[in-house]
Amino acid sequence: MTRRQGTKASGSTWAAVLFVTLFAGTASGQPAARPAPVPEAVTYCLGCHDDKALSLTLKDGSSMSLFVDPKDLGSSVHASQLICTDCHAKYEQDHPTDATFPSRRAYAVSSYELCKKCHFDTYTRTLESVHYDLLKAGVDTAPICTDCHGAHNIPNPHAKRAMMSRSCAACHTDVYKTYAGSVHGRVLVEDDNQDVPACADCHTHHQVQQPGTTKFRLNSPDICIRCHGDKGLMSKYGISTTVAQTYLADFHGVTASLSRNLPAAQQQVVVTCVECHGAHNIASPKLKGPEAMKATVATACGKCHQNTAPTFPAAWLSHYPPSPRHAPLVWAVELFYKIFIPFAVVGLVLHLLLHVYRMSAGR
Amino acid sequence: MRETETMSSDDASEYVVRFSFWSRFQHASVILLFGLLLVTGMPQKWPYAETSGWVVDHLGGIFAARWIHRAAGVAFTALVVAHLTVAIGGVLTRRMKASMLLDKKDFTDAIDNLRYYAGYAETAPKFGRYDYRQKFEYWGLIFGSLIMIGTGFILYFPIVISRILPTELIPAAKVMHSYEALFAFLIVLIWHMAGAHLSPESFPIDTSIFTGKVRKEKLRHEHALEYEDLFGKP
Repeated sequence: MTRRQGTKASGSTWAAVLFVTLFAGTASGQPAARPAPVPEAVTYCLGCHDDKALSLTLKDGSSMSLFVDPKDLGSSVHASQLICTDCHAKYEQDHPTDATFPSRRAYAVSSYELCKKCHFDTYTRTLESVHYDLLKAGVDTAPICTDCHGAHNIPNPHAKRAMMSRSCAACHTDVYKTYAGSVHGRVLVEDDNQDVPACADCHTHHQVQQPGTTKFRLNSPDICIRCHGDKGLMSKYGISTTVAQTYLADFHGVTASLSRNLPAAQQQVVVTCVECHGAHNIASPKLKGPEAMKATVATACGKCHQNTAPTFPAAWLSHYPPSPRHAPLVWAVELFYKIFIPFAVVGLVLHLLLHVYRMSAGR
Repeated sequence: MRETETMSSDDASEYVVRFSFWSRFQHASVILLFGLLLVTGMPQKWPYAETSGWVVDHLGGIFAARWIHRAAGVAFTALVVAHLTVAIGGVLTRRMKASMLLDKKDFTDAIDNLRYYAGYAETAPKFGRYDYRQKFEYWGLIFGSLIMIGTGFILYFPIVISRILPTELIPAAKVMHSYEALFAFLIVLIWHMAGAHLSPESFPIDTSIFTGKVRKEKLRHEHALEYEDLFGKP
């Protein structure tokens, strides 16, 4: 998957990487709307590099454009904060004129760590990601800062969530296509909806973990509940937050939360949200219709509970809290105990207090 | 208490055997099994309490805890079956008295005793081998056990149940198992502990169910009618 990106990236992107590699510490505060005036030191560099014909032949024989578009620099979040040599420090003293790197990618990989000069915390988080593991293992197409954020033309990453997901799609094309067709992805892609989860909301931005593991699956309810347990957010879409409570209170939710410290082999049997709803291909259960949803649940049950009767999935109350309409028997049992237990306990305590009263004061 | 002192000079008649070995064995088994069921069951009722995670981890994980719970539940079922067999068989063959059965006197005793507690009567009613509080707890334990066993087995074998009975029984059994357990726990905590440990007559502990023996004077005071049956009216 990463190989594909390498090929794609060897187009225009890596030319940009050669010159500025990223970020100032206060990036978030700066609106990118109005192009800032270019500092004088930058104008000096642009004296040569604002030339579309300027290029260099690298050691691998490929040619790389050395053109820097002033418009890119102006629209970057760093526009008024950084000058060229903040990132390209070694060019300040001794500007080489011939190729010092075997390939564009080799240059990009060796210089992306410049970002940590300012963004140290973010950089540190990337060291714990599955992407860094790949890079460490020698896969030089694994994503580095500039692959997602750009180099000379860095936009504010908080402004456009859809854009960040598209940067994941550069490598994870198939997953992205599935996601873009899901109940979440469709409205992000088509309507730029800011409430639905984009890739990084579930997988995190910089500390991306291996998603196929049991640990990740076991933590997945926490991810879903972050939004589906939020009453204010869910009321906008007419979705009930009882989906979270009913899962957590039910047998499988209890198992999931109490088996976090077990060895992974034993955690395999735990059922989470994704077993019935899917992950990247989540569809709205309302649009899917009750019959299709029942079939999905039956399939999910059947994975562990073999030889079940066709009625077995109905033992799961489908996220409905018990009510006279949904599960009247369960509702009645619960109501009975909610009245009976306090009534009995208060009676017994009164009886005991009267006993003590008589034995002490009332003799 | 003055009377006790006079009694204590008569060593030979100081104690009366009140509970058979079978009774004591059952009581000890209930302590063990009820304890095991609580320790393994409560973390499942309140899984999000911090203590629950700690308890479950120390039991070897949730799956181990559930197996302990099922094993203790099966053993408890066996105990209840044995108890009922012995009790019903004993009463039918007239080898045991049906001293736990409720009768009209238990209801009048309850009212009279509360009147005594509230100061409307000079003396408490005289009780037989088991007073109304003990009978209430006994029948609570019997019916509570039957509920726990019934719902427990529904939860143990949900797939079998779903083939032969309406599936709504399974979530209903889960709710019932959970609340009935809470009720049983509260009864033991409040009623049994108060009766056997905190009540002014028994503090700090009434040992008769462990030793089988009760002080004659205590028996005369708490179960006057049984005492009169054994030793005649004073």
